[in-house]
Amino acid sequence: MNRYEKAAGGAVALMLLAAGAIFLYAPGDYLHGPVQRIFYLHVSSAITAFGCFAVVLIGGIVYLRNESPSADRIARAGALVGVVFTTVTLVMGMLWAKPVWGAYWVWDARLTSTLVLWIIYAGYLLVRRLAEPGRQSARFAAVVGIFGFADVPVVYFSVSWWNTHHPGPLIINNALPPEMLATFLFTMLCTLVLAGVMIGVRYRIETLLDGRHGVTERAHVVASRRPEASPEPVP
Amino acid sequence: MNPFRVAVAVARKDLRSEWRTRELVPALAQFVILALLIGNFGFQIDSRNAASIAPGILWLALVFAGLVAFGRAFAAEREQASLEAMLMTPASPVAVFAGKAAAAFGLLLLCEAVMLPALSLFFGTPLSIEVVAAVVLASVGMAALGCLFAAIVARVRARELLLPLLTLPLWIPFIIAGGSAVQSAMGLPGNYQEAIGLLIDFDILFLVLTSLAARFVLDE
Repeated sequence: MNRYEKAAGGAVALMLLAAGAIFLYAPGDYLHGPVQRIFYLHVSSAITAFGCFAVVLIGGIVYLRNESPSADRIARAGALVGVVFTTVTLVMGMLWAKPVWGAYWVWDARLTSTLVLWIIYAGYLLVRRLAEPGRQSARFAAVVGIFGFADVPVVYFSVSWWNTHHPGPLIINNALPPEMLATFLFTMLCTLVLAGVMIGVRYRIETLLDGRHGVTERAHVVASRRPEASPEPVP
Repeated sequence: MNPFRVAVAVARKDLRSEWRTRELVPALAQFVILALLIGNFGFQIDSRNAASIAPGILWLALVFAGLVAFGRAFAAEREQASLEAMLMTPASPVAVFAGKAAAAFGLLLLCEAVMLPALSLFFGTPLSIEVVAAVVLASVGMAALGCLFAAIVARVRARELLLPLLTLPLWIPFIIAGGSAVQSAMGLPGNYQEAIGLLIDFDILFLVLTSLAARFVLDE
């Protein structure tokens, strides 16, 4: 077992512990019933996704400043893991919304801006896939990552100026009983650890992929070496 | 080199080449008329519901016409490899970008000059100065963002696929505020003043951000 497998095993074990806390330790909700337990993972993965996109933003800014390939790799890893956690947030939220609001989807500020966030970073991953690997692709992706991060508060603000249904921030308002708060904080911590491990594993994969494409620490201005770019053999 | 003069020269060059070929604007005009036609068949519009449907059709047509216009902004440069030549001159890349964005904005304005009267003619909605102001203000920011991403995808495979995917989510703030402004100008409930204020804020924000980012996109 190498250190990546050990870290992944540890993160999964922590998530199982968090599941135990959510279903066995945390008290049930009087108003919403068992569906309220979605809250713990939903909010944790939303905050984790924002953290991942902040990693993309910082990686992009560092890359634009000094063209370090490792900053670009960490941005790529953060974007992929962030999209995964945004998907979890959206799906969990929809499962919660059906019994509580009566519909899977409403055009609320948080829902709309989270959906836009998901689309922007899915686009980021597509840029990475479609552009030739190397300096240009990394620069373009850094710009997309920075604009994506700047756009989300703007979308949030403009929709909330319109209308909003989403529950307000419970944690900041001190509205949770202590057992719920403890469960939430523990789940939050476990989710962050999981995301950290996922980014670490992905970073390793990106390093290996870069090695294949010839992007190394020393020579980061590279002629592309895509197999499909080579001329077709004459039959 | 005075960056302002560089921008004006680049914009004039783009507009002149469009004037000589007359390719894009007639195609865009026909495109928006077709969009209005499709809207008419998709919605069953009559005099009672026209005011509530027309703003939606206006923004859909404008957004897709904009994607076509900005996608073409760098097409000629890519085909002739003339962008590299322009960037080799001492002119600053930001000024070159500003010129290209201004020309694309001008072409989009021409397309709006066809679309807004046509909308008013076909659907009987008022063609007021309020509607025109909202559409023009939204086009400023949309042109800046659209040109930035057109410059990005110009050097990427599958650019026709990527331009809408990258640009449309970033245009959403303009569509929210612009849509609300046009709705209230056409007699639906809404706060026109506030929506126009938001559009101006978004224009300033994205003009600043795109001019900061243009250096990294064009400087190769």
